Amino acid sequence: MQEYLSGWIVGIMVSAFGLIGLYVAAGARDLEMTIFGIALVAFAILFVIGLIRRHFDDVDASRATAKARAVKNG
Amino acid sequence: MANLSAAAGGRKPIVYNDEVVRKFTIAAIFWAVVAFTVGVYLASELSWPQLNFGLSFLNFGRLRPVHTSAAIFAFGGSALFATAFYIVQRTCHARLFGGRALAEFIFWGYQFFIVMAALSYVLGFSQGQEYAEPEWHLDLWLTVVWVAFAVVFIGTVMKREEPHIYVANWFYMAFILTIAVLHLGNNIAIPVSIFGAKSYSLFSGTQNALIQWWYGHNAVGFFLTAGFLGMMYYFIPKAAGRPVYSYRLSIVHFWSLIFMYIWAGPHHLHWTALPDWAQTLGMAFSIMLWMPSWGGMINGLMTLSGAWDKLRTDPGLRFSVTAVGFYGMSTFEGPVMSIRTVNALSHYTDWGIGHVHSGALGWVAFISFGAIYYLVPDLWHRSGLYSKKLAAWHYWTSTLGIVLYIASMWVAGIMEGLMWRAYDSQGFLQYSFLESVVAIHPFYVIRMLGGVMFLLGALIMVYNLIMTVRSPSTNPRSEPLSGAMPVAAE
Repeated sequence: MQEYLSGWIVGIMVSAFGLIGLYVAAGARDLEMTIFGIALVAFAILFVIGLIRRHFDDVDASRATAKARAVKNG
Repeated sequence: MANLSAAAGGRKPIVYNDEVVRKFTIAAIFWAVVAFTVGVYLASELSWPQLNFGLSFLNFGRLRPVHTSAAIFAFGGSALFATAFYIVQRTCHARLFGGRALAEFIFWGYQFFIVMAALSYVLGFSQGQEYAEPEWHLDLWLTVVWVAFAVVFIGTVMKREEPHIYVANWFYMAFILTIAVLHLGNNIAIPVSIFGAKSYSLFSGTQNALIQWWYGHNAVGFFLTAGFLGMMYYFIPKAAGRPVYSYRLSIVHFWSLIFMYIWAGPHHLHWTALPDWAQTLGMAFSIMLWMPSWGGMINGLMTLSGAWDKLRTDPGLRFSVTAVGFYGMSTFEGPVMSIRTVNALSHYTDWGIGHVHSGALGWVAFISFGAIYYLVPDLWHRSGLYSKKLAAWHYWTSTLGIVLYIASMWVAGIMEGLMWRAYDSQGFLQYSFLESVVAIHPFYVIRMLGGVMFLLGALIMVYNLIMTVRSPSTNPRSEPLSGAMPVAAE
């Protein structure tokens, strides 16, 4: 349950940072803020993709474990 | 892969989150090489200034914070995160609080901070405050990551299944909480615009200097000392197979160090506009710091009682114990340099650079190397290190590199100090500044060579650790080779 909740909370938090990054990049007055804003968006996208990938990896792994157990028990 | 704790005493076995520990360990090794490489390049630039090729982003002023941040925050910080997460789980018999996603956020968020900070320095953006160069937007990002770190660490301590909080965790908690306070206090700044990187500190003049060195000195005290003492109190007893020499002394060490360090910052501002009483306060607390520092050093060294023979067979432990020796030396030298009359000679000279590096290379880097040599075989489930001999080569190359570095800087620093204050019978300065620069040039070249040796040692370590993870000779299921080194079991 903690893993599940943690994924959602962190995912929403990082998505919000991604939106802040978009806002900052859009209004940036110097090169530093342009780079920072775009990098923050990229960070958020990659991080959330990572969370989603990990979720499905875990689902696959638990399915495989259940299947192996069922085969073992006949 | 995850380490499973033993189900001793009928307790549930815990699956530790070692994935984040492995990632931070790899990051620490990577950033160590980056920090040392940039350091060697800067040392070469100081010897031969034309090496900046007239390019703004290779300028010493821009690359210097890249080197210090890579060494302190990237290498040291990653080593601290790795060991904090490793130790807290094992000493609390609890998996990291907050789930895997939060731990992942801390890792990637911290690496993002490091890369963005380095990029901003080479682009020419800086607050101009030593060890606090990142501008306001990066400070805010680091605050978010740091709060997440505090939540995970303190949350794990709170859900512990051990009744006692081991002393290493006290040091890590002091490091986490104090760095948070220092970071927030020193970085109170007003941005020109929320869309612009430039900001101005809320403090100005002497107040700004005092706040900066309250931060700067305690970055040394709580980032580079308290956290690494946590490392010492866990890895030396584990590697030596002995309990801490005196647990009571470790508690006295903790509370006295925490109480005294926070007052010592003003010694960075001797002979300035800072009121004399504040300078004296900083000096007095710096001298008092001898006691807790040496108490801790003695505790670390005496833990080896009855196990000194292991220094011959365990190169990781040799790094850790040498680190404690350097800790003792640099915490002796620091208070000496904080005495106002000594500071009149030493301040603004290369003696300061030598002092910093005896601490950074001898203490911080060596205690981290000791921990890394312990961690890698354990985290990757290997029977031991790939080559004990290569680890010994790393040890001796690095030690000799440090000796060249600090000895050359001591000589250069004292020479500079004496030349700057020398005056003739008519009251004129005897030497121009340029003459002092020419006089110390050979020592700058020796310092660069010392840095090259230290970097070479780190590269040997990288090869040894990669082979430790990959080589069939360290696979616990295959026959151990004669070169494999057993490490203490968890």
